[in-house]
Amino acid sequence: MKEYIRYFKWLYIILAALAGLFLLLQVGHWGTAKARNHQRTNTTCTVTERVFDKADVLTDKQEKKLRELISKREKQTGCDIVLITLKEPLAEFARMYEPNAASSEYVRVYAEQFWEQNGMGYDKPDGDGVILVDNYSREDDGKIHTYFSTNGRAFEAYYTEDIDRLLDNVYSCVERDPYRAYKRYVNTFYHDMLGWRTFHVSVPGSVPWAIGLISAVIFMFLNWRSRKGTKTTTATTYVAGGQPVFRVQTDRFLRKTVTQRKIESSSSGGRSGGGGRSHGGGGGHHGGGGRSR
Amino acid sequence: MIYKCKNCGGNAIYAPEKGRMYCPHCESEDSEEQNPDDSLERCVNCGAPLEITDYTSACKCQHCGAYLIFNERVEGVYEPHLVLPFRIGRQAAAAALDQEFSRRIFAPSDFMSAKSLQKMEGTYVPFWLYDYDADYDYAGEGTKVRTWRSGNTEYTETSYFDVQRRMNVDFNRIPVDASYAMEDGAMDLMEPYDYQALMDFAPKYMSGFYGEVYNQKAKELEERALQKARLSSEQLMQASLTGYVTMRAYRKNLKLNGRGEHYALLPVWQYFYRYKDQVYEYHVNGQTGKVVGVTPVSRAKVLLYAASVFAVATAACQIAVQILDIL
Repeated sequence: MKEYIRYFKWLYIILAALAGLFLLLQVGHWGTAKARNHQRTNTTCTVTERVFDKADVLTDKQEKKLRELISKREKQTGCDIVLITLKEPLAEFARMYEPNAASSEYVRVYAEQFWEQNGMGYDKPDGDGVILVDNYSREDDGKIHTYFSTNGRAFEAYYTEDIDRLLDNVYSCVERDPYRAYKRYVNTFYHDMLGWRTFHVSVPGSVPWAIGLISAVIFMFLNWRSRKGTKTTTATTYVAGGQPVFRVQTDRFLRKTVTQRKIESSSSGGRSGGGGRSHGGGGGHHGGGGRSR
Repeated sequence: MIYKCKNCGGNAIYAPEKGRMYCPHCESEDSEEQNPDDSLERCVNCGAPLEITDYTSACKCQHCGAYLIFNERVEGVYEPHLVLPFRIGRQAAAAALDQEFSRRIFAPSDFMSAKSLQKMEGTYVPFWLYDYDADYDYAGEGTKVRTWRSGNTEYTETSYFDVQRRMNVDFNRIPVDASYAMEDGAMDLMEPYDYQALMDFAPKYMSGFYGEVYNQKAKELEERALQKARLSSEQLMQASLTGYVTMRAYRKNLKLNGRGEHYALLPVWQYFYRYKDQVYEYHVNGQTGKVVGVTPVSRAKVLLYAASVFAVATAACQIAVQILDIL
């Protein structure tokens, strides 16, 4: 045991330091959340409901719990947080506003129209907030579409990869446990809005496991067999005077070439007004800044 | 030949810790006298028959324990030019070995207690030490790359250089063991020896140890020395070609001119341990104490430690991701 502790001493010290840093940040995070108590200033919007479970995928108790959670998170984030589940084809509705909208765009049109028509926003009509629309009805493409729309401060805070991450969180359990998925939507949004948001990096959940596994495999590979010993000679061990003598050592400039290329603006670094995706359709569908599963 | 103590007639041996001849019977120092009687068949001390190989130059009589040196194998063409006397004695070598074992944490837990010592002996291993003058002529084209951005355009500037090098290196005493009994890889790992302590050969340094004459001639083993010289030359040349992103050689001429070779005896402690029906051989550099040899590995221990690495690395990454998330 003693030898084990000695061997892994530094690894555990690093782990403890990381855990300590995490705890410190988390405490700061909680402190910030507790201290915040935004007052809603949008008096035009009269919609007080935040959970519209038209697809009836939530129980009454779950709806109530979500409403309570949203109410708390809205005060902490200063944003309206709306959830709509539907089970109706939106083609007709969407084409009223955008005649050329593709089937993947219907939920986006619905979300945007809902937001605008109801004057949603915590600070003002069409102001700060987010809306998640999950339509359980399969459109012409045979897929179920979801759209996450950000507005005002939420729009400023959210980059494409953040939207992807939020939708990943929702999609990881929406099929088997919609309540849990929508709770994740609310909590992820709350968490994102309270973070300092310096790094807009989305690390897939499998990456830490993969790094752990690769480290363990390398470790096993290096220690599976005992080594005879280590080489302790260098290139200069048998060199008289310890170094070579250079009679010629010239580096003469010949020519130079310059090439140029246009930098394509990448969507991954920019802000996005929302991200759509489909579920239950067997994958292969992309919309907005999202991905499919 | 045998060295005897003038005071008590006992067998005087070379004591590495003292750096001089010593009689373990009466504890006299530098009291040795050479008895030149010689025989390859019988011990000149007790007359018991000897079992030696074609290359043995010094051994211990298994009957009376006297250390014998065979005149005809340390004279004439077999007379070493140089010898590096043992600096580390039996106890210090065993301590170095124990220290090394304690560092090898993947050895089975019972290895230290269950292993049994089969044999241990100090041996003067025959080496050829080669001297070379290296003349390396190199020419190539190197590139340096600089990139910068202006607006939405990225520029890449590649500069080309004509690189010329002429390097001279004096290699002194590149060692190659000349013993069939010693594994080449193990002997290479024994290096380096501190050549400052090399001395002109005197047979008395062999008293108390085993020894061999060279098993192969210098010419037969030269390729190994040349390989070492080539590798070092290449590394030294590469070290001078820094600062370039790419380097394409269009001329590389390395000439190695031999300046001669020396026949030397270098000190090695050999230990043989038996553990679970297998014999493990270890070599300890008789001058520096460096240990070379394979220890058995407890696979269960490795798996257990790997599981810890997996757990800790995964946890550390998870926490790092969470921190990034907060930040």
